[in-house]
Amino acid sequence: MQNFMAILLLSYLLGPALVQTSLAQNQEVAVVVNPKNPISNITKSELRKVFAGEKRTWAGGLSIKLVVRVTGSYERVVLLRLLGMSESEYKQYWIAQVFRGEAQAEPVALFSNGMQKEAIGALPGAIALVMVGDVKTGMKVIKVDGLMPGATGYPLY
Amino acid sequence: MHLLGAPHTNVTRCSKPALTIVNYERYEADSSARGSVSTGRIKTRIHCALFVLVLVPASSRAQNDSSSSSDHETIAQLIEQIKQLQQQDHDLQERIKILEAKQPQASPVAQADPTSPPVPQQSAEQTPLPDVPPAPPHDWRDPHGMQLLGFGEFNYKVLDQRQPELGTEGFVPGSAGNFYTGDFDLFLSAQMSDKASVLSEIAVGELDHQTFNVDLERFLLQYEFSDYLKMSFGRYQTGVSYYNTEFRSAKFLQTTADRPLIAQFADEGGLLPSQAVGVSITGAVPSGKLGLNYLFEYGSSDTVRPAINGSGQIDDENNGNHVNVGFFVRPDVLPGLRIGGSFYHDKIGNSSVPSTVRIGQTIVNAHAVYVAHGVEFLNEGFLIRHSVDHGGAVFNMPAFYSQISRRFAHIRPFFRYQYINANPNSIFEDVDLRYGPSFGARYDFTDNIAFKAQLDHTVRKDQPDLNGLQLQIAFAF
Repeated sequence: MQNFMAILLLSYLLGPALVQTSLAQNQEVAVVVNPKNPISNITKSELRKVFAGEKRTWAGGLSIKLVVRVTGSYERVVLLRLLGMSESEYKQYWIAQVFRGEAQAEPVALFSNGMQKEAIGALPGAIALVMVGDVKTGMKVIKVDGLMPGATGYPLY
Repeated sequence: MHLLGAPHTNVTRCSKPALTIVNYERYEADSSARGSVSTGRIKTRIHCALFVLVLVPASSRAQNDSSSSSDHETIAQLIEQIKQLQQQDHDLQERIKILEAKQPQASPVAQADPTSPPVPQQSAEQTPLPDVPPAPPHDWRDPHGMQLLGFGEFNYKVLDQRQPELGTEGFVPGSAGNFYTGDFDLFLSAQMSDKASVLSEIAVGELDHQTFNVDLERFLLQYEFSDYLKMSFGRYQTGVSYYNTEFRSAKFLQTTADRPLIAQFADEGGLLPSQAVGVSITGAVPSGKLGLNYLFEYGSSDTVRPAINGSGQIDDENNGNHVNVGFFVRPDVLPGLRIGGSFYHDKIGNSSVPSTVRIGQTIVNAHAVYVAHGVEFLNEGFLIRHSVDHGGAVFNMPAFYSQISRRFAHIRPFFRYQYINANPNSIFEDVDLRYGPSFGARYDFTDNIAFKAQLDHTVRKDQPDLNGLQLQIAFAF
């Protein structure tokens, strides 16, 4: 009886975290831009250049504004995977980018999807990675390598 | 292919009652991501969870009539928990009613792009509660204030020199070993508009007998028309080498404790004209997956370099205007790979001969580097050609360095090999032929503080080999 209760208690404590982790690992991530941005497709290599600060303007000259999630979020994990960096390397990379004069500051890191949505709506050149389940009205999702999230072979997850 | 938001619905299956109850508050708080789940389903799941929790202790009691008094206490605690959950359930249902009443009044913020996938409907998280005043909208515009970065270092160097060597960077010539601060860099930048910015870098460097000087390393007005055309006006660090433009003057950004001698700043004994005043133009060339970029610089420099043999001699090259043209590719096929080169030309003087004698200086650079996935592999080669005017002597002086390192968690061991073959009759007579390996490791205490330990072995022509140990703490703030 006591063993059973212990298992029940452990399930209380650990279950939600395990379920959330396994769910996050299966989530695809959408590339979201300001609704006024005419872009509809981006290649994965272009996306890497954008989030590495190597490509800094959209076609037409509009400056790209990077909007990223804070450390610990699933979108951040996907971003680091895209760039091939660890969290520490990411931070040092942006220190170097600023010092080289290649960027004004490290991309703004936001705590919630609500803030992310607000930033994307407010900044014409904004681009962000958003978990597909968190995509909201007012966000424009663009294709990656010609594929929308959910399509077979979609590369961002 | 899975539907939007579908994975979240698995959280509330009745087969995992314990998970469901604990997760309920989180579920409600994060309901914006689960807007498609109806409130009716929520209620059903709450009841289902409560039902299972009631059944668990009841069935246990039936199976074991001789249950201990501790079981009774546990059951009493569970009943108390159920009462609390019922109260929470009641409170949440009240809250859901309030939210449902508010939902028809909520207007969509903006229309999504028609090509976008279906998105969840407006959720409870987006609707402010009746007693919470709406927060003022955040100003997302770029801050146009001053940005400040700083870099510092603290060094200890030991050399087994038998005659003075490397009297730069605060190292005392002739000493067996001593501490020195190296450079303290202050970097300031400000965004003036979407396209225009200004940056400056001021370095406080240590000289002999612990005196310090202030050097304006960079001072640039930058205008970025697009990815294809970026112009910078002012004092810049030349693109004569990859190392010069990639690491600038911050030791913290370098893996090794020092720069390769060929890429060292001229005022620290380096051979290249590392700084100039003029215009620098960079940008990408439309080239698809090749990732071709260009560099063009035209400016004036006045390289003054102390002899690295500790003799105290200083060469003032009195450079004329220079032109530097470079290209490099960053192919999509292998992110992190960069291959390129540059061609630099100016005219310099020689302090030891009449100022009317000028030397044509041409520096050809080629580099191939790979920096990704924790690996750093730098390879850079140079050919410095000095041609004395009016049919005088010509000196071709090759140099290269190769450096490889790999990051393992916080530690990054590295190995570097460098080679310089300067002609003893040229203005680099203090350098002559020297080559040798360096190896060591960098340990990152945090993202901003690193400790480096480096051993050097340098073979010098007609002189004893030189062995050295460098310890360094480098940091960014």
